[in-house]
Amino acid sequence: MTKGRLGRYALWQFRDFATDRAIAILIIGTLMGYLAVEPIRRLMGPGWAGNPQLPLARIVASVASSLTTLAVLIALNGMISQDRKRGYYRFLFAKPVSPLLYYAQLFLVHLAGVLAAMAVLTGVFSFFVAPFSVKNILMYTLVVYFAMGGIGFFISAATRFDWVTLAAVWVGSRVLRGLFGDEQGIRGQLVKLLPPVHKVDDVAASLLSDGTAPMGDLAWLVGYGALFFVLGLVVLRQRSLAS
Amino acid sequence: MIEFRNVGKTYKSLLGSAVKAVEEFSLVIAEGEVLGIAGPNGAGKSTLIAMLLGYLRPTTGTVDIDGMPARAYVEAHGIGYLSELIGINPKWRADTALVRYATLAGVPEADLARTVDGLIERLGLGEHRKKKIKALSKGNLQRLGLAQALLREEKILVLDEPTHGLDPLWTQKFRDIVGELRRPDRIILIASHNLDELQRLADRVVIMDRGRLQRVVSTGYDEAPQSAGTYRLSMASGHDLVVECFPGAIAAGRGEFDVTISELAELNRGLAELIGRGALVASVVPARSVLEQQFREAVGETR
Repeated sequence: MTKGRLGRYALWQFRDFATDRAIAILIIGTLMGYLAVEPIRRLMGPGWAGNPQLPLARIVASVASSLTTLAVLIALNGMISQDRKRGYYRFLFAKPVSPLLYYAQLFLVHLAGVLAAMAVLTGVFSFFVAPFSVKNILMYTLVVYFAMGGIGFFISAATRFDWVTLAAVWVGSRVLRGLFGDEQGIRGQLVKLLPPVHKVDDVAASLLSDGTAPMGDLAWLVGYGALFFVLGLVVLRQRSLAS
Repeated sequence: MIEFRNVGKTYKSLLGSAVKAVEEFSLVIAEGEVLGIAGPNGAGKSTLIAMLLGYLRPTTGTVDIDGMPARAYVEAHGIGYLSELIGINPKWRADTALVRYATLAGVPEADLARTVDGLIERLGLGEHRKKKIKALSKGNLQRLGLAQALLREEKILVLDEPTHGLDPLWTQKFRDIVGELRRPDRIILIASHNLDELQRLADRVVIMDRGRLQRVVSTGYDEAPQSAGTYRLSMASGHDLVVECFPGAIAAGRGEFDVTISELAELNRGLAELIGRGALVASVVPARSVLEQQFREAVGETR
């Protein structure tokens, strides 16, 4: 019965995503795309998109990669912590609903929302700027959502300041891996436990160009995210909703 | 049946200091009962309610509803809950907020509109139904909070400071609504600072202070004071006779006097003499309700 109720409620969750977060993703994505492409268009003059010297695909891939990370961050921001901070949980979970299922569903609804927003953005850019594979970008979004989203879900379940923490973890992992990733000692081993952010670049490069990606890297990214998603569910089960 | 068994809740800070919000609280609440919870600020009322809804885990003891752990019960059956702080997304509209909550509560799709419209009308929210939550006044928000608690025929209703922010008219209507909600198989819990309200609505009132259950007071007529007490006399005429008939009476202004007696017979004798000498008595009421008296004693004893 809970699943039936929650299933119907998913439409409201999606509506909230569309009115709050999707609009932000679309505005930021449009600005990013415009700011990346417009200077080149001006420089190259008419027929710029057909210029064989222009590495348009690489530019699009670079913008898409940054935008995807940002879109996922927007989608995850406050997913659980906001209800706690603002007290929305009080009325929501006095109803016969499991918070665990509620937030697991919200995670999937936001995934659908991010994919939809990215599809609109990339579709428009593909049409007006330069043709590229919308499917590849959506596949990349899917991978980043599970990799980054799983960790974000866990952080949102555990702390109040989730997006800041997630951004710090994401950037911090990249920096620390860069600094100590090749070391043989304990420091090098500990750094290996951090999120495999470095693999995102390889996956982005191959997925966005030809739609393929090394299975090992994909498994690392998605597996790491899935592990933290499950840990997030455990935290939700163990931690009191009120503080 | 709700059963609090030796429940305690201690908050610990990161630095290691601990605050006991609730201590050794035990109580059984039976079906059909309206139970009031009274206590000064920081008495532990809200913490107790949070544990009843499973939003907080007790540090010690257990909270069971119909033999199930509280949170498991809520997830399986739901509870009608009006919290002291109304936490609804300010971007939502009043009517769609109710539709959302009704969906989560399990109101069948076919009944959604009828249920929501009925509550909007019952709680006088018709002209505000299209407004966003952030545009609602405190009183309207409170009524919306009450509406979402009544979406389903829940077996348990928990109302935390339900008349906070309501005008006198809606305070009276709220009391009528609670009267209508009474059912032999339903438990209604009302936490309030308003002792008069609890005196009118509840069968028993739990008085808490400093996290502990201090007293459980029955509010029925059977519990009216039979002996010593202070009564307030309102006089229509013959004010100057009061002190003669009740030596020690204290003028309280506006033709009212506080009269302390040691037994009811003394009060009746004094009144008979007063009336016999031509005074007109407008009203005689206890200066303090039984509950107020008990509250003062219980809270005063611990301070």
